[in-house]
Amino acid sequence: MPDFLLRAVLGAAFLGAACGPVGAFVLWRRLAYLGESIGHMGLLGAALGLLIGIAPITGVAALCLLAGLVMARADDGLIPAGTFVGIVGHAGLALGFIILAGMESVRADLMGYLFGDVLALSPTDIGLIILIGAGALGGIALLWRPLLADTVNPDIAAAEGTTRPYVNAAFLVLVALLVAFGLRVVGALMIVALLIVPPAAARPISRTPESMALAAALFGAAAAPLGIAVSWWQDVPAGPSIVLAAVALFAVSSVFAAARGNRS
Amino acid sequence: MMNEPLILAENLHVRIGGAQVLSNISLTITRGEIVTLIGPNGSGKTTLLRALLGLTRPDRGFVQRKSGMTVGYVPQHFARDRAMPLTVRRFMTLFGAPAAEAIDDALARTGVSGVLDRQVATLSGGELARVLLARAIARRPDLLLLDEPLAAVDVAGEAALYRLIAELRSDLNCAILLVSHDLHVVMNQSDRVICLNGHICCEGTAETVARDPAFGRLFGARAASDLAFYTHHHNHRHDATGHVVPGQAASSPVAGAEQGAGHA
Repeated sequence: MPDFLLRAVLGAAFLGAACGPVGAFVLWRRLAYLGESIGHMGLLGAALGLLIGIAPITGVAALCLLAGLVMARADDGLIPAGTFVGIVGHAGLALGFIILAGMESVRADLMGYLFGDVLALSPTDIGLIILIGAGALGGIALLWRPLLADTVNPDIAAAEGTTRPYVNAAFLVLVALLVAFGLRVVGALMIVALLIVPPAAARPISRTPESMALAAALFGAAAAPLGIAVSWWQDVPAGPSIVLAAVALFAVSSVFAAARGNRS
Repeated sequence: MMNEPLILAENLHVRIGGAQVLSNISLTITRGEIVTLIGPNGSGKTTLLRALLGLTRPDRGFVQRKSGMTVGYVPQHFARDRAMPLTVRRFMTLFGAPAAEAIDDALARTGVSGVLDRQVATLSGGELARVLLARAIARRPDLLLLDEPLAAVDVAGEAALYRLIAELRSDLNCAILLVSHDLHVVMNQSDRVICLNGHICCEGTAETVARDPAFGRLFGARAASDLAFYTHHHNHRHDATGHVVPGQAASSPVAGAEQGAGHA
């Protein structure tokens, strides 16, 4: 197997595994647009970075982080959290496009930042993915107990002292960093899909939150070799193949659960 | 230790969305007592519970909770979400991890021993109410706050569960603050009844409250005649929204005039 292919499998599998448990909370907290919206903010960040002459990844990370904090701060219950997440994302997308309109020459460069290529991962990228992935998994493990209690019932969690005021913000910041660096290495389509599809595939076959998070991590990791194998043999783009492999896993788990009559 | 104050509220005022929901509430709950909160719809019972728990911030006044005490909370509504797989077994340890024997014992006492491996989302309303109560009991709380915990339970089960709640006080050496609509049960098993209508209308032993004309006006002649035999002096009237109308003293001075404490 060529080195670039091995790196693609390793990088995508590790990122998929890290996205699984984080994505489970995205699903439970009804934030399916969260990854996408943070990614949109990332476009603004990249554009601003190029405009003021700093590395676009710095701009992406800064604006993704800002988006996460804004989303955490403004949850007053009047506007559903998912809608507010969409508003922040579209504001970033629109503003990003306006800034880009005056920057014809750097467009191609920017595209590279937003639509990474999983087949072009360098050894440095792999190191970065392992760092981000381990950080995301460690972060979600630390947040697990209070965040899960807060997700199931925020009132009981607060009344009984299980949650902490910062868990929601910490979770959004964690997703923002995961998406910001994920954008850079594998592109927007893939990082967002890895947050949503593997947890959905895990739901029908799970009985507890923990087993669902574990299954989501395994599905996320499995989608990489499956998709890249198809991409290699059929000569189709790798990133989209990984996404479709995850969707295929979702279909299989749904059919399997329906056949077993256990969709509780 | 009996008579140890667990919660102390001083002069609480709470506004929600521009409406004054609670005014001038002062109360103390001490270990070993059962306090019942009664009042018509919209009288602020749930808001008071939430303020005591720190879930709603008062505009004026303060709440002091004994530090380090274990709280068991059964909210009035519990939204279930099929997106999260959750067995009853896992739910019981979600907000703290009581011993397995405490969990088994609590589920047995509320009559739902057989549901441990069921999904929370598939329980009937009555089963869910029993599981929620069992979860709070299994924590062996110092203070148990129950917001209409038995609204979904059938009549026969309700009587048994109220007897259980009365037993818990000595079994757990805890205080119990109960919101209930069932006046007869309330009258029989509470040490203290607080009749709420935006402010504390009357408060005292069940006997005292039943005699209070404020109680009759809030709950109707039928309830009053069932529970009260004579009235005592009452120093204020209510308008339609429960506010005290100044300068219109109700007058039926009879024996027992000073038994009703806490006129606002």
